[in-house]
Amino acid sequence: MSNINCALRTFLLVFFTAFLLACALVAHAASLAAPDADAVLKKADTYRNGWPSYVLHVKITNFESDKADEEKLYEVSQKGTEKTYVEFMSPREKGEHLLMLGDDMWVYLPDTSRPVRITPLERLSGDASNGDVARTNYAADYTPVYVRTEKVGAVDCYVLDLTAKRKGATYQRILFWVRVEDARPVRAEFYLTSGKHIKSATFDEYMAISGRTQLRRMTLYDEIRHNSHSVLEYSGIAPRELPDKLFYQGRTDRF
Amino acid sequence: MKSGLLISILLAATCCQLAAQEDPAPDAPTPESRQDFRYSINAIDDATFYSSLQVPIPTTLNQLLLQPTLTYRYKPRWSLATSLVGMADTYSDTFTQVRVKEAYAGLSAGDFDFMVGRRIVRWGTGYAFTATCVLDPPRIPTNPTDRLNLNEGRDMIKADYVHGPHALTMAWSTAALAPSAAGLHDTTAFRYNVLVHGFDTSLIAGDDRGGDAFGGLTFTRVIGQAWEIHGEAAWREHEAILMGAKYTTPHGVTFIGEYFTPPNIPYYRDMSISPLAPRQHYLFLDAGKNRLRERPGWKELDLGAYVVANLNDRSFTAIFDANRRIGSHFSTYLHLEIPAGKPTSDYGSTPYSAATSVGIRFQL
Repeated sequence: MSNINCALRTFLLVFFTAFLLACALVAHAASLAAPDADAVLKKADTYRNGWPSYVLHVKITNFESDKADEEKLYEVSQKGTEKTYVEFMSPREKGEHLLMLGDDMWVYLPDTSRPVRITPLERLSGDASNGDVARTNYAADYTPVYVRTEKVGAVDCYVLDLTAKRKGATYQRILFWVRVEDARPVRAEFYLTSGKHIKSATFDEYMAISGRTQLRRMTLYDEIRHNSHSVLEYSGIAPRELPDKLFYQGRTDRF
Repeated sequence: MKSGLLISILLAATCCQLAAQEDPAPDAPTPESRQDFRYSINAIDDATFYSSLQVPIPTTLNQLLLQPTLTYRYKPRWSLATSLVGMADTYSDTFTQVRVKEAYAGLSAGDFDFMVGRRIVRWGTGYAFTATCVLDPPRIPTNPTDRLNLNEGRDMIKADYVHGPHALTMAWSTAALAPSAAGLHDTTAFRYNVLVHGFDTSLIAGDDRGGDAFGGLTFTRVIGQAWEIHGEAAWREHEAILMGAKYTTPHGVTFIGEYFTPPNIPYYRDMSISPLAPRQHYLFLDAGKNRLRERPGWKELDLGAYVVANLNDRSFTAIFDANRRIGSHFSTYLHLEIPAGKPTSDYGSTPYSAATSVGIRFQL
């Protein structure tokens, strides 16, 4: 009898352990089930677009072979997902500004004294392109598809495959890693129409502003020239009431 | 080159900037300031060397330029701005002057903006030419970007009404303060601008006192990822037409082409063109790339080349530009201009066989 009891107890113990393991696996699998990619992307965008209408400063430091060789400053005013106005503040670019209205884009150069229409390909120039500064609302520009869940370092991340859905999108495709826990952007890979992997990004540091978590620093790595990267630092983020006429393409009275 | 004076100016300006630099406080919303002050300072030392001069002037022109620009805004309504150029030109003697490029006051009230003073206003969409040059400073096809920033604005009163994608502008410009050699008249001009289906379109009308009324249309449109098209049509005694396009390659090389045909009337005529000549036809072709990032060590370099041709007399001017950035404030450049054609032709009558400009630019 004692042998039977012993066997029964062992069986129950094994069964109970297996049941617990199964429950844990099911719970874990449930936690890793395919998320709503649109909702995740919209949530991820809030870390760079905390308010419907806001201003911020961006400092871009370009590095060559890990040595800082150039610094640029921008003041960005954004209203909704369609209107962005960027004022160039660094000495060499003072007086220049950039306007994005949906898919249309103009750059104002002091030497031409008029707004010059620019093509989507022109917005790709530079280590950190115009689009990297002015076009940060991915949900408006890309269609997301959930690919898988994987770890980046110790962090569980959703991997989203973003495909451009409009002409104004800076890149044709983005692979986007966001934290499972709160959809916070972790890293990204950017691709051209040709399929060429042109840049990668890491979203390095966040800060709390008025109870909202906002991106403070990200790094863009040039995947064509591997010894080059750019650090984008965000500061001065604040909600603002911005008048519509700030975003009118014909105005030339900006400094 | 007046390097001593230039170095003193640059050192003083750099010290001012270092004193003004402050890091913003992190992690706190920045309160909006009522006052906003912006400035920039450009200093250029330019030397131009002429080859095979056909007129008795020195072969070297040295220009030292200092260009401060200041803007003060008291938000959300008031603004004051000025942009000056101090020049010291040395041929055989030194000649100095100060030009007021812009100096104006602005008032913003709701959907309306008002402005009074001297202002550079460009309504044309062409790069090298313009058919709708109403209030624009003179457009010189061989110097489309005004490389030394010497253009001056017109003295005017201007009112803008901006609502959604629509904008109406009324301007009245006086020629009273302009030099008589400029040949300007008092001008009244009106523009309606709208962005519709990707077309940035303007209708322009106006009247030069003592001259004919005129009207015009301009547009720009981006097509796909790489193409931009633009055009202008104007009627001033006869029609003037400009058609242009820009193409950007995936490697960042930009090509611009423009065709322009103005009537041979005094308003459009270049001084080298005979009044008896027929309507003129011009072509502008440009190729350039900023930042040659693909080549190690070349990313500070911008290169460009363009040609302006008169198709009637088959004369042209070819131009090559190279610009190299040094640090955050300095750059050096080379500008080479080679005219060609018969001695009586539009560009062939240029009194030198080549002009080479080299210079250093400081920006703060």
